[in-house]
Amino acid sequence: MIEENQQGAPLASAGLANKDNRKRLSLRNEEISMQVRDLNLHYGSDQALKNISMDIPNKRVTAFIGPSGCGKSTLLRCFNRMNDLIDICRIEGEITIEGNNIYHPSVDVPELRRKVGMVFQKPNPFPKSIYENIAYGLRLQGVKNRRKLDEVVENSLRRAALWDEVKDRLNDNAFGLSGGQQQRLVIARAIAIEPEVILLDEPCSALDPISTAKVEELIIDLKESYTIVIVTHNMQQAARVSDFTAYMYLGELIEYDDTAKLFTNPAKKATEDYITGRYG
Amino acid sequence: MSSNATSAGRPISARELLPDAEARTKLRRIRHFKDLTTRFMVSTAGYGVVISLALIFVFLFTEIVPLLRGANLGEPVSYQVPGTDAPTLHIVSERYQEAAVRFAEDGTVSFFDPTDGRDLMEQVIDFEGGQVVSHANAEPRTRIVAFGLDNGRVALAEHDYDLTYPDDVRLVTPKLGYPVEDSIITIDDQGQPLNVIGVQRGDPGIGIVAYTADGRLLLTRFTSQRSFMTGETEFVPSQYELPAPPAAPTRILLDITMRNLLIGDAQGFLHYYDISNPEQAVLRDSRQVIEGVGNSVTAMEFLLGTVSIIVGGSDGSVAQYFLVRDEGNVGRITRIREFDQHPGAITSIFPEYSRKGFVVGDAAGHVGVHYGTSASTLLIKRVSDHPLQSVAVTPRNNGMLWTDGTGQIHYASLWNRHPESSIKSLWRKVWYEGRSSRDYVWQSSSATDEFEPKFSLIPLSVGTLKAAFYAMLFAMPLAIFGAIYTAYFMSPKMRGLVKPTIEVMEALPTVILGFLAGLWMAPFVENHLPAVFSVLLLLPLFMLGTAWLWGSLPRSIRYLVPPGWEAAILIPLVLFTGWLCVTLSPLIEVWFFDGSMRQWFTDVGITYDQRNALVVGIAMGFAVIPTIFSIAEDAVFNVPKHLTQGSLALGATPWQTVIGVVLLTASPGIFSAVMIGFGRAVGETMIVLMATGNSPVVNFNIFEGMRTLSANIAVEMPEAAVGSTHYRLLFLAALVLFGFTFILNTIAEVVRQRLRAKYSSL
Repeated sequence: MIEENQQGAPLASAGLANKDNRKRLSLRNEEISMQVRDLNLHYGSDQALKNISMDIPNKRVTAFIGPSGCGKSTLLRCFNRMNDLIDICRIEGEITIEGNNIYHPSVDVPELRRKVGMVFQKPNPFPKSIYENIAYGLRLQGVKNRRKLDEVVENSLRRAALWDEVKDRLNDNAFGLSGGQQQRLVIARAIAIEPEVILLDEPCSALDPISTAKVEELIIDLKESYTIVIVTHNMQQAARVSDFTAYMYLGELIEYDDTAKLFTNPAKKATEDYITGRYG
Repeated sequence: MSSNATSAGRPISARELLPDAEARTKLRRIRHFKDLTTRFMVSTAGYGVVISLALIFVFLFTEIVPLLRGANLGEPVSYQVPGTDAPTLHIVSERYQEAAVRFAEDGTVSFFDPTDGRDLMEQVIDFEGGQVVSHANAEPRTRIVAFGLDNGRVALAEHDYDLTYPDDVRLVTPKLGYPVEDSIITIDDQGQPLNVIGVQRGDPGIGIVAYTADGRLLLTRFTSQRSFMTGETEFVPSQYELPAPPAAPTRILLDITMRNLLIGDAQGFLHYYDISNPEQAVLRDSRQVIEGVGNSVTAMEFLLGTVSIIVGGSDGSVAQYFLVRDEGNVGRITRIREFDQHPGAITSIFPEYSRKGFVVGDAAGHVGVHYGTSASTLLIKRVSDHPLQSVAVTPRNNGMLWTDGTGQIHYASLWNRHPESSIKSLWRKVWYEGRSSRDYVWQSSSATDEFEPKFSLIPLSVGTLKAAFYAMLFAMPLAIFGAIYTAYFMSPKMRGLVKPTIEVMEALPTVILGFLAGLWMAPFVENHLPAVFSVLLLLPLFMLGTAWLWGSLPRSIRYLVPPGWEAAILIPLVLFTGWLCVTLSPLIEVWFFDGSMRQWFTDVGITYDQRNALVVGIAMGFAVIPTIFSIAEDAVFNVPKHLTQGSLALGATPWQTVIGVVLLTASPGIFSAVMIGFGRAVGETMIVLMATGNSPVVNFNIFEGMRTLSANIAVEMPEAAVGSTHYRLLFLAALVLFGFTFILNTIAEVVRQRLRAKYSSL
C-alpha cells in the first residue's frame, strides 16, 4: 500500500503548484457558489448520475476527474442546463446557485446560461470576425453602443491574454486563429458577458502543450474573479490548476476534497487506484 | 466450417492468414488491374459528361450560326438581253428560276431562262399606236405590269406560268395575259400623256392612278363582278379625279386595300391621300422624306403587304415609312427606320415576295439587299460600272437579276436565308407595321402571308424571369423557413415524417401540377379571389395569434404536447383558415366588390387573365419547394452542434442562435438551395406551358400571364419549318435559356464557394 502510494502520488501530484507552501483548503471554510443536492440524471433508462451532492466553492477552481463515461461532463452540463438539449435526458434533485434552484420551472434558462458560461472541448468560434465573436454575447443582451463593445472586446481579450496576438486583426475571421488561440478566444467570449461561473469541458484536450500551458495560466488568473469548474482527463492538469478535485466513477461521486489532499493522500482506494494509473 | 475448426483449435496468428509472396504478387496484379479499370471507367464517364455538354453547345451553335450571316451574292452570269434593243422597263423571275420575263419599252415581252439567257418565248403588247411614257407594277405576287401611254391610255399585262409535269419533270410554260379583258384602257378622256402611273390589285379589284401631263391626278377602279348568267368575271370601271398633288410626282403607289394612295415627288416629299371614299379623296399628310434641296424621291416601292413603303432618294438614302394613326385616328407618314446609304441615287427597288425584305439598285452600279423589320442592310455590292436600271429578286429570295443599260442582263444566285434576325430585332424595341409605337413583341406566325413575324426575345426572357420570380416569391419563404424549423426545432420523429414527405413532392410529375393549376386552380382562384387575399392576410395573423395564445397557456396544458410537435397544432388552424376564407369569399365579394372581385379588377383597370402569374407562382412554387427545402434543410441540419451549443451557452435563446449562428453557417447551403430552385423555375416547362396562358406580354403584373422561353420552345417547335429563321430562333431561345441556367448556376457556385470559405472550415 505504502509502496504504491509512493509510486503513484509523486506522479499525480507532480503538477501541484507550490505543494509545500500551499495551505490546505477545506470546503468548510469556503464561500459556496453552487450546491448540488441528490442529483440523479437518466438518459432514457440509463442512469448517468447517481445521487450526487456537492458544494462548489466560490472563486476557486474545481476539477472533475474520472475515467471516460463516468459522468463528469454530464454533471458539468447540469450547471447550465445544457442537458436540456438532449430529449431523453431526465433530471431529479436540485442544483442551487445563490440559493435558487436552477431547475425550478420559473428559471429563465438563457439568463442562467449567461451567468454560467461554458467552454467546450473543441474550440468553437462562430464563423464571424474575432471582434464579432466576443461581441456576440453582448449583442444578445441588446448592447449596441459601439464604444462599449470596443471596450469590452478589448478587456475580454486582454484578460484572456489574447489581445496582443490579435489586436491588429480584430476583423479577420476567427477561423484564421490557431487552435490554442481559438480556445482562448472562446474563453474571452465567455467572460465578455460577465458570468459568475465558468464551466470548462476538457478545454485543452485538443491543444498542443504550449497552448495548454497558456490556457492553464489563464484559468489560474481567472479564478480571481470567477468560480471555475473544469472537467479534465489530464490529472496533472487537475493538479496544476485546481483547488478542489472531485473523482467520479460510473456516475457516482467517489471522493471530493482539496486537490493536494486528493492527489497525495486520497481517502478512498478507488481514487488512489485511478490517480496512480492502476485503474482499468 | 473452417471458422469453426480454427476457433475450436489453437488461436491462429495473423501471419498465417496473410498470403505468401507468390499469392501476393498475383493479388497485386489483380488490384492493379482493378485500379486501372476503375480509373479508366471513371475518367471515361467524366469526360463523357463534359463532351456531351460541349456537343449540346456545339449543336445549338451550329443551328444558330446561320442567323448571324448576312447575304451573299454569287458570281454573276451576264448575257445579251433577249428580244429588242429597246430599253428594259421591268424584269421579273418566276418562282423556280426557270423562266424570267423582260418588258421593253416598245411592248416586247421576252421570256427567257434567267440562269443562261436562253430565249423561251416572245410576245408583243400592241400599244395601238401609243408610246410608253411611264410604267408601274403592282405587288409582285399579282404579276401585273402597267404602261402609261402618251395618249391617256394604259396597257395592262400579266405574266403567268403554267406548271406541268410531263414524265415527272417540272416544265414551266410562260404566258402573257391581260387582267382586264382589254389590254388597252383609256384613263384620261382628254388624251393627255400619263406621265406617272401606279397600279395595284387587291380584294376590291384593280386600281390605276395616273398623273397626266397637264397636272391632273386620275383614279380608275375596276371592280370585279361576277355575271349571274354566264358565271364570268367582268370588270366595271369607275373613274375619279383626285386633288392634284402640290408638286409633280415621281412615283405613285396604291395599296391593296385601295384606301391609301402615296405619292413621292421630285422635291423629296411624300404625300398621303385617303381614297377610301374616292369621290371625297383627301390629302391627309405630306412629309419631306428626302433631305436637302434638289433631292427627289427616285424610287419607291411597297414591301410585302403594301403597308410599309421603302423610299429611295437621289442622295442614295433608303428609308422605310408607314402610316401611323395619330390621336385623331388619321394616318401620318412616319419614318420608321433607315438603311445604309447607297453611294448613288436609288434607281430601282424590288420587294421580296414572301418577307419584308427588298433589293435595291443604284446609279453607281451597286445592288443592295436590305430587310425591313430587322433594319439590317445585309449587302451592298458593286456589280457594274454603269447605273443600274432595274433589279429584281426571285420569289424564293435565292437569286437576283439586274440590268445596267449596257444591253445585258445579269443574274446571280443569292444566299439570304435569315435576314429577319438581328441583335436589334431580337433585343431592342422594334416598330412593327400597324403598331403605334416601338415595342417588344413575340409573334412568330399568323394566318396571312403578308404577316410580319415579330421575333423579340424580350417578352420570352421577361416571361421566364417573371414566372420564376413569382414562383420564388411563393416558394422561398415557405421552403427556407420550413427547412429551418424542420432542421432546428422539430422533434426528430416528426422530422423523420415531414422531410421525406416534402421530398416525395419533388417526384410529382410537373405535368400533373400544370394540369391542376391550369384546369382547376386557375378557375378556382378566379372565382374566389377574396379568399386568396384573405388567406395571405389572415393566415400569418392567425398563426401569430395562436402562437401567442399557446405561449400564455398554463404549462400543464403545454406539456401535453411533446417538445418539437407544437407545429402540429397549426394544421387544424391552416385548414380552418382556408375553409373560413373560401366560405367568406362570396360574402366579401358582395360586401366590398359589388358581387365579383374579378369584375371589380376590370373596372378599376387592372387586367386580369384567368391563367396568371399568381396561379403559376403557386403551382411552380409548389414544384420548387421540395428542391429548396431539401437542400436548405440539409444545410441547416448540418450546422455543427458545437456551434449552436456555443451560442446557447452564451445565453442566446434558440431563436437568437438561429439568426446569429445557424443561418450564417448554413448560408452557403441555403444560397445554393435558392439558386438551384431558381434554376429549376427558369427551366420548368410543363407548368408554365399549361398554366400561364402563354401570352408573350412584357410586364410583371401578377394578374397577367406570360410566355416563357421553355414553354415557347415546346409550343412552337412542332410548327416551325426545319431550317427556317423561326426554327433557328427557337434554338437561340434554347441557348438563351441554357445561358440563364448556366449563369445562375455559375453565380450560385462562385458565391457558395466564397461563403463556404468564409463560414465553414469546420
